[in-house]
Amino acid sequence: MGDEFSHSQRLKAAIHFTVARCCEEVGQDCEKNFSKLAIAAISETTFKQCDIFAKDLEAFARHAKRTTVTVEDVKLAARRSASLANYIVQKSEELTSNTKEQKERRKKLTGKRKSGDSLPAAAAEGDDSSMAGDQNALG
Amino acid sequence: MEDREPEVVFKKETVGKLLSLFFKDDKTKVSGDAVLLMAEMLKIFVQEAARRAAKQADTEDSGTVDIDHFEKILPQLLLDF
Repeated sequence: MGDEFSHSQRLKAAIHFTVARCCEEVGQDCEKNFSKLAIAAISETTFKQCDIFAKDLEAFARHAKRTTVTVEDVKLAARRSASLANYIVQKSEELTSNTKEQKERRKKLTGKRKSGDSLPAAAAEGDDSSMAGDQNALG
Repeated sequence: MEDREPEVVFKKETVGKLLSLFFKDDKTKVSGDAVLLMAEMLKIFVQEAARRAAKQADTEDSGTVDIDHFEKILPQLLLDF
């Protein structure tokens, strides 16, 4: 019990740290100083909001008969404000394209390691696309 | 003096632990991309809170953002997220 308490206290401290830095940044931008109480209040609100987000995400995932929360659930959690939803969708597209690249890189590496008995097509495809990229760069 | 990061973000680890702390079911997991997206969303939440409070302080012609400025913008902030 005591262990769990200190665990959540630590996470609160981590949030407080990031919120303080964020407030400092905004303060410089707007030429304002944030009082310590205001920063503490924003941190506490963020912590509570995170609780709400987590419970929502869990419920969304369960509704989709999953036990893992995915990007789709986060998109649903951001549905209340249109501009926030647009921003989150855009960010998620960036993230998925990044992870796809990483996966392809990993595939290439494992393909080479296995001397290409299971993934020769994928490795060849990857080589082709990189060669096409080189040609484009030259042209 | 020191190389400051251009952007303040929540650590992926912190957000992951926070989410799993609040889940009712221990079996619930979070995908890596979802954690990163949640970190982004929390950053937006904090920035929005700070900017709205700063704006409120500005309309009251106050140089420091105090807790009552934040209290005034809090209801609308929570309705927007």
